[in-house]
Amino acid sequence: MDIVYSLEIGAVAAVAAILGSMLGLGGGVFLVPILTLFFGIDPKFAVGASAVVVVTNSVVGSTNHLRIRFTNPRLAMLLQIATAAGAIAGALYGVLADPRVIYIVFGAVLVYAAVSMVVRSERQVTAPPPGAPDTLRLGAAFRDPAIRQEVGYIPINVGWGMGVGVGAGVISGMLGVGGGVVMVPAMNLLMRVPVKAAVGTSTFMVGMTSVATAFVFYSRGFIDPTLVVPAIVGVFLGGQIGSRLTRRIKAQRLALLFAIILLYLGLSLLLRAFGIEMPGQS
Amino acid sequence: MSDDHLTGETEGGRGVALGTVELAARTERLAPLYDAAVKTLFWGFRLGAAILALGIVVALVKREPLGHEADPIPDVIAMLRAGHASGIIDLAILWFMLTPVATVIVVAASFWRLGDRRYALLSLIVLAILGASVALALNR
Repeated sequence: MDIVYSLEIGAVAAVAAILGSMLGLGGGVFLVPILTLFFGIDPKFAVGASAVVVVTNSVVGSTNHLRIRFTNPRLAMLLQIATAAGAIAGALYGVLADPRVIYIVFGAVLVYAAVSMVVRSERQVTAPPPGAPDTLRLGAAFRDPAIRQEVGYIPINVGWGMGVGVGAGVISGMLGVGGGVVMVPAMNLLMRVPVKAAVGTSTFMVGMTSVATAFVFYSRGFIDPTLVVPAIVGVFLGGQIGSRLTRRIKAQRLALLFAIILLYLGLSLLLRAFGIEMPGQS
Repeated sequence: MSDDHLTGETEGGRGVALGTVELAARTERLAPLYDAAVKTLFWGFRLGAAILALGIVVALVKREPLGHEADPIPDVIAMLRAGHASGIIDLAILWFMLTPVATVIVVAASFWRLGDRRYALLSLIVLAILGASVALALNR
């Protein structure tokens, strides 16, 4: 094992996880651009590594969300049909795609994430009225520790949610990110799922979505253990640090700084698609 | 016992509280499913981390360089038998990747045991989709 290289990758992965954890975006959103832009790693190997890392992160993160019932397993399984199918399609395209396409799509996703960070919107979900229709039995409840109350909800616009899920899956499959960046706002704004339940359900889902991606990249030889191993360790440690920092620092206060970082990475990837490298990148 | 014990007095009044209480009771009926999923994920991660740690130690002790490409799944067993660190690390990576798949199996079985055939079937559809991606990796 090349210790120095592994430590560098591990450190970068930890930083990606700290940023991702503080923003609730997961590590993959930062990991792939940093590996490709600053380490010169082939984007397909970076995406493959990221997909495995996202799986591991989801396995760890889901445990807590399930324990406190933030996860809605019925909603997760229903939406997962769409996202997993989308992920396989996206990954099958991603392993064959011209790297410039990956740069452009990833760059666009990062610019979108940067803009949505500044113009962050959140829908407050009101409790469903008694006898509200719930033909799919998707309604659930969880105890919100912040308000010390049970919060009940019944998701609506399920068909639209599944449609967005296919798109989230395709993006996840192509880019090796979890898809939470799309699914959490979709569940909250479109399906009227409270943010905590949307995050809990999404965290559970992204593991399954990224598994589909990871196996497709594995099948084409794009899983590099010298990248994956330090990235898993780094992201795990970074995630722990990030979650502690999040409790102390209001991430919202740093929203503008994070948005600038995302915008820089997004624009760098878009420029890279056209063969333009920014200073300090390889 | 009154339904209000779960929510207390809410701004929305008793009607809102009742709706929420029904949903809370429905969620709590899934407790065995939640417990089974948590156990699968918890032990899946612990065992995966242990295998990964073992692989790293073996690689460092034997000064064995890792390949830049994970071995095809059928070859991993042969690498393990030969005691190669890369085989152990490939197994750890595959273990992490299979943990969510195992969780879907557990969730499907739990829905079935709880009498929720619809969501047991939907979980099996998810499993079939994930199985398709696993099959791709097996045929590498």
